[in-house]
Amino acid sequence: MHNIGNDIVDLKFAEAQSNWQRKGFLEKQFTQKERRKILSAENPFLTVWLFWSMKEAAYKCYTQKSKERFYAPQKFECILISETKGIVVFEGSTFYTTSFSSTSYVYTTSREEEREILMFSAVVRPSSLEFYLKNKLAQETGFSIEDIQKVKTTNGAPGFYHQEELLTASCSISHHGNYGAYAFNLSHKF
Amino acid sequence: MGVYSLKNIQINMTKEDIISKLTTIVKPYVQNEEGFKNLNENTDFINDLEINSANLVDIILDVEDEFNIEIDNDSMEKMLSVKATVEVIQTKMNA
Repeated sequence: MHNIGNDIVDLKFAEAQSNWQRKGFLEKQFTQKERRKILSAENPFLTVWLFWSMKEAAYKCYTQKSKERFYAPQKFECILISETKGIVVFEGSTFYTTSFSSTSYVYTTSREEEREILMFSAVVRPSSLEFYLKNKLAQETGFSIEDIQKVKTTNGAPGFYHQEELLTASCSISHHGNYGAYAFNLSHKF
Repeated sequence: MGVYSLKNIQINMTKEDIISKLTTIVKPYVQNEEGFKNLNENTDFINDLEINSANLVDIILDVEDEFNIEIDNDSMEKMLSVKATVEVIQTKMNA
C-alpha cells in the first residue's frame, strides 16, 4: 500500500489569519534548521508556508497508516532538494514531496516512496472539491459519478467506494481559505 | 506580607473556568458555528470546530499567554481537543 498526502495553503488567507512573526510561532512549529532557512530566505513568508504545507502533506500521508492523530509539526523536518522537490523526515520515515507555489497558494503532495507514482491531484474550489474528485474517479474507473460514495474515516482521510469496492488506494483532501485540493491514487484493480 | 500570588488564583480555577477561557481563545479560529455552539469537553478542534490546522499554533500560544504557562512539545502533541487541552492546562498550572 502506497500512501499519499496533500496540503493546500491559501496565501492571502494565511496572511490574514496567521502572523508568522508572532512570538513563538516559528519556535513551536519549525526546527532550528528550518528557522534558519526561513529567516535567511528571500521570501520568509512564502518559505514558512511552503514548509508548513510539506509538513502537513507528510503528516497526512503518515496518519493514513498510523491512524493516530497528533500535533507535532516540529517532528516533521523539511529539507528542500530543489525549488519544487523536498523530503520530510519524521521519526525515521521519509516522505517525498512535490510543491507548487503561485502568488495565490502553495500546494504540496507527498508520497512514501521516492519513485514517482500515478497520482491524481488538483486544486479546485473548496465547495466543489468532492464533485471534482468523484468526477475524476468516474472518468478513471468508468463508474457513474452518482454511484461513487465517500466514506469518512476517523483520521480524516476519506475513502471513495463503488458499492462495496474501495476505488482509492489512498486519498487526501485539503481546504484552506478559497482553495481546496485533492490527491488520490487508485486501487490496484483499476 | 500579603503578596499577590497569581499562581494561587490559577490553582483555584475550576475546569469550567478553564473551558470558559478556552472558548474565548478558540472563537476567532472556529469555522463551524454549530460545533462552537455545542462546545463541550469532548469537542475536537479540527473535526468539530473545523479549525484550520495552521491555526493550532495560535491556540497554543494564546493558551500560554492567557494561563501564564509554558507548553512543551510533548504536551502540545495531544492538544487537539478541549479535554486534552484542559488536562494540559491543569497539569501545567499545578506544576
